[in-house]
Amino acid sequence: MARHWKWAALIVAILAAIVYPYAVRSYFLSLAIEVLIYSIFAMSLDLLLGYTGLTSFGHAAFFGLGAYILAYTALGLTDNILVTVPLVIIGAALLALIIGFFALRTSGIYFLMVTMAFAQMLFSIAISWSDVTGGSDGLAGVPRPVIGVGAWAYTFDSRESYYYLVLAFFLLSWIALRSIVGSPFGAALRGIRDNEQRMRALGYNTFRYKMAAFVIGGAFAGLAGALLTHFTQHAAPETLYWATSGQVMIMLIVGGVGTLVGPMLGAAVIRLLPTFVSSYTERWEIVLGLVFILFVLFAPRGIVGLLRRAVEKRP
Amino acid sequence: MTHRKATIFTRRQFLRTLGVTAGALAAGPALSACGATALTAAPAATAVPPTAALTSVPAPTAVPTVAAPSLKIGVLLPYTDIYAALGENITAGMEMYFEEAGGVAGGRTIKVIKEDEGTAPDKALEKARKLVEQDEVDFVTGIVSSGVLAGVRDYFDSNKKLLICSNAGANALSRGAKTPYIWRTSFTNWQPNWPVGTWAAENVGKKAYISVPDYGAGANTITAFQNSFEAAGGTIIGVQKTPFPNMGDPAPFITELAAANPELVYCFYSGGAAVTFMKAWGELGLAGQIPLMSSGFMVEEDVLPAEGDAALGVRSGLHWALSLDNADNAKFTEAYKARTGKDANVFAVQGYDTGRAIVEMINAVEGDTSDVDALIDALGGISFPSPRGTFALDANSQAPKQHIYLREVQNVGGALHNVVIEDLGEIVDPGDDSKG
Amino acid sequence: MSASQFIFQLFNGLVFSMLLFILAAGLSLIFGLMDVINLSHGAFYLLGGYIGLTMVRQFDNFWIALIVAPLIVSGLGLIVEYFFLRRLYGRHRHLDQVLFTFGLALIAADLIRWRWGAYVESVPGPDELKGAVVIFGALFPRYRMSLIFFGLIIAAGLGLLIGRTRIGAIVRAGVSDAQMVSGLGIDIQKVFAGVFALGTALAALAGVLGAPVLNLYPGLDLEILILALVVVVVGGLGTLKGAFFGSLLIGLANTFGKALIPQFSMFLIFAVMAVVLLARPSGLFGVKGN
Repeated sequence: MARHWKWAALIVAILAAIVYPYAVRSYFLSLAIEVLIYSIFAMSLDLLLGYTGLTSFGHAAFFGLGAYILAYTALGLTDNILVTVPLVIIGAALLALIIGFFALRTSGIYFLMVTMAFAQMLFSIAISWSDVTGGSDGLAGVPRPVIGVGAWAYTFDSRESYYYLVLAFFLLSWIALRSIVGSPFGAALRGIRDNEQRMRALGYNTFRYKMAAFVIGGAFAGLAGALLTHFTQHAAPETLYWATSGQVMIMLIVGGVGTLVGPMLGAAVIRLLPTFVSSYTERWEIVLGLVFILFVLFAPRGIVGLLRRAVEKRP
Repeated sequence: MTHRKATIFTRRQFLRTLGVTAGALAAGPALSACGATALTAAPAATAVPPTAALTSVPAPTAVPTVAAPSLKIGVLLPYTDIYAALGENITAGMEMYFEEAGGVAGGRTIKVIKEDEGTAPDKALEKARKLVEQDEVDFVTGIVSSGVLAGVRDYFDSNKKLLICSNAGANALSRGAKTPYIWRTSFTNWQPNWPVGTWAAENVGKKAYISVPDYGAGANTITAFQNSFEAAGGTIIGVQKTPFPNMGDPAPFITELAAANPELVYCFYSGGAAVTFMKAWGELGLAGQIPLMSSGFMVEEDVLPAEGDAALGVRSGLHWALSLDNADNAKFTEAYKARTGKDANVFAVQGYDTGRAIVEMINAVEGDTSDVDALIDALGGISFPSPRGTFALDANSQAPKQHIYLREVQNVGGALHNVVIEDLGEIVDPGDDSKG
Repeated sequence: MSASQFIFQLFNGLVFSMLLFILAAGLSLIFGLMDVINLSHGAFYLLGGYIGLTMVRQFDNFWIALIVAPLIVSGLGLIVEYFFLRRLYGRHRHLDQVLFTFGLALIAADLIRWRWGAYVESVPGPDELKGAVVIFGALFPRYRMSLIFFGLIIAAGLGLLIGRTRIGAIVRAGVSDAQMVSGLGIDIQKVFAGVFALGTALAALAGVLGAPVLNLYPGLDLEILILALVVVVVGGLGTLKGAFFGSLLIGLANTFGKALIPQFSMFLIFAVMAVVLLARPSGLFGVKGN
């Protein structure tokens, strides 16, 4: 019975997402695009943090690399997403392979700091290597994406069309990540999160599993960075900065770690809350800080935890 | 939604302004005969330039305009993080002018909607969208960071929305990345550095070491100074690019500078980095030993009190100085100090001039902001007496054509201030990279 | 780089190292004993600096500021620990700690800007330490030189406290096994509270001592937090020795990086951290499995 309700809710949500552009003003459409992009980013981190127990504080490395690869190829080579998106995903996955090779030897807070170190090194390169990266000003003038070839080419130049493109990528990412965490592979990841030594004793090569999760998470983060760059038409070094890693981690914690709905809710709250609060008061940072503290004290499992409690309380 | 932050002028202020403006209009011919000093003596009257008043006497004050919708100005400036002080100064200067103008431009009540620029380009872009699409502002002004300016450039360009930039100086926006929809009331990074290069080679020394933060404005500073310095026979013996955004303790950088034995050091730091660099320079015993010259922002009035005596004798180029001798500046600096309790600085001047440029622009189109091209035409044509001298925009670079003043930090009556020691003439950005 | 230049840069590096040490020692103790990731440590640093600024302006005496500011800030630290942090202990609450302390840092940064404004503020050092000493014919500021001694004195003091006293023994035992300590009938809550107060006091002390060198401005809190985190992790969590040598390594690497490859001096710090952790996954002096 509950299963049916879940499917119904899902279908309603997807239908709502499809008609959304016709119901709201353009600014709210742009917010939705950002929330969807950051949802992909936050979900990709959740695969590491929530499902595998890898507290990465350097997830911006993949997000930012995705942004720069996209800007670079779209500006110099092609704006066709059939080419650019695979390039971005391969690039981010390769970077994850390299960082993971080193970082996965450490654990806990040390892992957190090593991943941050790699992201900060990339940030430093992005700032200094200005001939390639545009330095602190980044790469501007990124065109809107194109799909298809020749006469069947379509340009996503309106905001509505771009929204649907992002929505499609979001749904694909969600389905992909959902099937990953639901597979035996996902079960193994959760096993590593809960007790890595036991998994090793059971004969699992936990390093390989963690590496696989790290690479998949990195690839999706790269995709999110690329989608953001197409939307803002600008790749900025800030996408690589530790504050970006911090922001996505906060999204995850606020939304609820270890679920795939949590990251979306968290992305929505963290992206939208400052926007609305700052329209009312210049002291929006205090409000944001207080909200965080309230979450920690009263909703330790994030928004998802709150919702679950509300559902369970009902007779 | 945004009412609590919006500056709305009261009806009484508005009516009073109408009265004053009407009176000034009646005296229009007399005012224009009196020239600039008379104009500045009656600030509300300056809201309408005499020429416009003469050609279209009734328009700005005609009764129907009372019902005109308010003029919504989106202000995107940093109010948090490292650039917060700059945002506050620009805002204070701009709001000061709006009040002087009675809160009215082109017969419409001015309504300011402020948003936080922050430091991240994508978040600032989201704020710009909010201002343009949700608040439906007539145009946007602000932007301190060049990185943010690069990030919002395409949005204003493709949406054909006017952005009047009141700080960020990236050369590119006047050159390769120029768009008709972004104009600057501030400066280009090239402007304050290029004329100083010539002056330094002629008056200070021929061997210079440059130290700047490793970001866009730093790179603009290097090329501008190097171009004119070398043309005047100087040699750059070294360039030091320090990490951005966080420099940390500058002592190791300064030690290297000193060891290279330059005849002068030229640098550009701002905010916390400027103070930290300058104080370490003094503590390491180099103040007065190696001539230090800089882009004017490094020793501007916002950081000078914290820098202290280490800054004494530093010479810099900028488009304004606190001691600049003209009537508008005297009036402005006094009023600003009375208003904020602090000495004015170049950012406040930029805010003030931006406020006036906006009012003049809106007056020129008689409050009609529907045609962005007409708005841009009006903006390009304005000219008025400003604390920095005459304010006018260069149509090619879409930035002010303005005098650059060579200033020296001196002890003026017990406090450190910049004193103008030479006017380096009117400097207009070439609009291309031909001069660095 | 000539020999005299090298010596001079060495002193620059030691000054920065000692400042980092005072800051990082508190963070390391809190990490090591309480297993708390404290992202508000930078905010306590900045708050200490600003309270010091007010004290210096009020009493025109740096030494009063140096004593009073850490006391006030450690009082705030106690309040934070007693009312909030106490509910968030334990390994499985790491993410809650991150969110809580980051929220606290946001609030603190905004309140500081509210109270002290967004202008850069400088704090004059004590009159007794004005002027400079001569090193190889070049002037080295006396205040900066004295920071090296302050750092060493604090290191020695903390070393005695942790290594030689009963409280220190409890803290050391707590770092390796907090449960065992409470099993011995010791009120570990009180020890935690004390260590958190000590840690925040050290942050504030660093804030006051660092203000004449690095000044005070919005954003410095996060800038300094990142450096402190790097030091603590490089040295190894929870060991004073680790914080000390981690500070030396990072401080000197940063200084010589600035001298030799200025553009990549930030890069170098993170590269050093990555290399250290790859060679020793628990930092230089960290206990394995922490």
